[in-house]
Amino acid sequence: MTAGDGARGTRDSSARGNPRGATEARARPRGGQAVGIDLGTSNSVVAVIDKDGAPRILTTPEGSTTMPSLVWFSPDGPVVGELARAGLDYSPDLTIFGAKRLLGRRFDHPEIRRLSRVLPFELVEAPNGDTWIALSAGRSVSPEEVCALILREIRHIAEDHYGEPVTRAVITIPAWYDAAQRQATKDAAQIAGLTVVRLLSEPTAASLGHGAHRGADRRYLVCDLGGGTFDVAAVDVQAGIFEVLATTGDAFLGGDDVDRAVVDNLIRDVRSARGFDITSDTIAVERLRLAAQNTKHELSDVAVSKVYVPELVQLPSGRAVEYQKPMRRDELEQWSSSLIRRIEAPIREALRRCGRKREDIEEVLLVGGMTRMPVVRREIARVTGREPHVIPNPEEVVAVGAALEVARLEGAIEGVLLIDVAARGLAVSLGGDCEQVIAQSSVVPTREHRVFGTRHDDQLRIEFDVWEGESPDPAQNRLLSRYAVLDLPPAPAGDVLVLVEMTIDTDGTVRLGASELVSGERLQLEQLYHAGLARTDVLRLQRQFAETP
Amino acid sequence: MASTRTLHVRCATWEQVEVFHTRKLRRGKLLSMKVPFRADPGSEVTLNLELPNQVVIVVEGVVLKASSIEADARAKADAGKTWLEVELVGFTDEVIARIRRMAAGGDPAEEVFPSPPSAPRTRTTGTLLALSGEDLPADERALFQQLTAELRRLRSVAVHEVLGVDRDADADQIRIGWMNLVRRHHPDLVARRNAPAITHLAEEITILVNRAYDRLRVALVAEGRAASVGPALTPPPGWLVGFEDISSTGSIKSAKVAQTLQNGGNAPQVEPLPPPRPSSAPEGGEAFELRARAMLSDGDAANAQEVLAAALCVYPRSRPLRSLYYVASAISALAKGEVMLATSQLETALAHHEHCTEAAEILELLRRPNAPPASDEMTRLFR
Repeated sequence: MTAGDGARGTRDSSARGNPRGATEARARPRGGQAVGIDLGTSNSVVAVIDKDGAPRILTTPEGSTTMPSLVWFSPDGPVVGELARAGLDYSPDLTIFGAKRLLGRRFDHPEIRRLSRVLPFELVEAPNGDTWIALSAGRSVSPEEVCALILREIRHIAEDHYGEPVTRAVITIPAWYDAAQRQATKDAAQIAGLTVVRLLSEPTAASLGHGAHRGADRRYLVCDLGGGTFDVAAVDVQAGIFEVLATTGDAFLGGDDVDRAVVDNLIRDVRSARGFDITSDTIAVERLRLAAQNTKHELSDVAVSKVYVPELVQLPSGRAVEYQKPMRRDELEQWSSSLIRRIEAPIREALRRCGRKREDIEEVLLVGGMTRMPVVRREIARVTGREPHVIPNPEEVVAVGAALEVARLEGAIEGVLLIDVAARGLAVSLGGDCEQVIAQSSVVPTREHRVFGTRHDDQLRIEFDVWEGESPDPAQNRLLSRYAVLDLPPAPAGDVLVLVEMTIDTDGTVRLGASELVSGERLQLEQLYHAGLARTDVLRLQRQFAETP
Repeated sequence: MASTRTLHVRCATWEQVEVFHTRKLRRGKLLSMKVPFRADPGSEVTLNLELPNQVVIVVEGVVLKASSIEADARAKADAGKTWLEVELVGFTDEVIARIRRMAAGGDPAEEVFPSPPSAPRTRTTGTLLALSGEDLPADERALFQQLTAELRRLRSVAVHEVLGVDRDADADQIRIGWMNLVRRHHPDLVARRNAPAITHLAEEITILVNRAYDRLRVALVAEGRAASVGPALTPPPGWLVGFEDISSTGSIKSAKVAQTLQNGGNAPQVEPLPPPRPSSAPEGGEAFELRARAMLSDGDAANAQEVLAAALCVYPRSRPLRSLYYVASAISALAKGEVMLATSQLETALAHHEHCTEAAEILELLRRPNAPPASDEMTRLFR
């Protein structure tokens, strides 16, 4: 019955027999190449499966396996990746990092409010309430565009590797991403000229990349602490079937936050040791942040290191002021202790949701660059009660999983199946309280329905809101979209019954369909509001991106 | 009119039959419907009402009103369609009684016509299903037909039958049944080889299978037969029943009241169909009821109340379960000497289900002067 409203979802268009979608799907095995992409908050990684079946991480032109998720809107046009680091020095207000955290977020979200105070670039509210980024001269860009620039750069890296077009990708996302964030990721990929064959949750990708399907059956707990986000997932692997039992996380906990905590302390130190306040000097703060990040990485291996900034500020006399300060690992751990404490709650919540005790977990996998920090490992070991398994390449394993997922979907890997659950419930409201339609942790794909009756004689349309969340209180949930069922036949109140069906597909994206209950006649649904970019904007940007290499 | 037109209405669940009868039909006879042909007032139409048990009931009707829908810019799809109001003269009490017998599990009466396998359906099962598999290569066409048949079968059976397990299957059996089906039908497994139409069918089947699994595992936990099966899931209210209307019930009731008042209170009483069995697990509720009755006959009202409360999470619209819950609650109250509370609970039980004989009899016992009902008198009622 449901074929979607067509406004959202790329799978949707092919399912509706849309000619373009259909040819794409048919031509799949012979179309352009497909890659696995880990679109990270601070670094992105791309991986492919070689002809011999081995995963390979592609390297950037600079020879690195990870590419900073950085975009510098320089006067000569956007610069992406390693080269954009220069922008951090010259114009931090035009150098966007961590765009993934802004993707599909409402501007009034408290964490966005907090971020907007600390980020060197300015955040603004888009007309539909989304978070955008203000550039100079009154221009602003959506996080989707920023991510699209990163994805396009990745596509170019992959095309250099293959020597032929790359058109499809599996992109990994945090498991707790809501439907708006998933859609925003798909939109970003579309703008970059990539069709998303699957959005794969990062913990699942990590366990796949770790090779869990080849090992013994295990009950895993995957902890993924990266640059910007913390993900926890309980994943059961049994005879090649990956079953995600629970996913939780903290959307605003990651290495960036540790960096900021360190910088705050260093700014205080500069003030007391040197006597000047650099709080409002974005360039100096940015330089301090980069130095602190380096020191943080070093302190994972050694107990003492130092922060060194050759030119922190320039005095009015023109003399540059150098800054250096020895830093110990225990200082770093003390400064980040309030952040480290936030690791515990998502892990406990994940165990609670899957009805497990921590003794039931058979292996703890650590993923993400931040898990290199000894204090993070200690904390996770303390909470889970077992020594975590350290993956040798925690930054790359997610991309490897994404590449394996490409191979799996193309049939190169047999007998592996990923089964996921809805990370959040879906609810609808007719202006009052939210009523749950799809429960959290329902196995996807799934579908539920609701029946609406008209309330007035000759009512021609019914409007309703679709929410993501579990609370009856709309303020606790995320508004996904507002729909109107159009062209109802004139009849006495309550006579026209509308069956609205909601489907969550394997990607976790939501689609809707409406029909008249008794006749089964399809009704037209109009989307009055939705989070994220409008379809026309995505198509316009896609054309624009295709024209400017 | 050259020939009598036929309308098709298919109800996949008894729930829908009830909705059709009590809510879609006004005054039990009047059906409003959008149709793709023109009809004149006074002409005859027949309604083919397809029931969940594949039986089609043919009902004679007369067109009372017909108004064509103008093709304006917004509704091109509706151009040339007609809004009909049909009086279903053939929807007599005997027909309703027959449907009620079938809903209660009886055999279909002789005079009904079994549904031909190729019966046209007004409720198409998805745009791609409406396409035939004709433009597919031969091997895929066979798969397409096989999956279509499988999907049709799964749509019409109870949840435990979807997973191919017994009604009282335990957690492991349910998991294995679900896993086997997902391994066979998951869209990921067919997507790489086959046409989008087949992927779509695979997805539809997987949706049914997942829904059946989610419902069964929630029911297991609610029945207390398993601590948890898979990821914990809190079912939304009315989740296990086909249709749970939101925010509209009140207005419909008031509309009905208004209608009754307009007609001077002479409007025919719409008699509801018997309480429908939950669409997805036709007999699951009875298992709860039997257990609760066994406990009540042992004098264990407190536990019976627990079981029934759990059952009501799963079958919130079951009137026997609800009334029995109030009876159990009344018995608990009597044990504590709270006669007033017990009386109101029993009256509530009767309000929910007037055929709740136990409630009536205990009330009778309560009215007996200076002899409060003994517990064995009450437990006897449930034997």
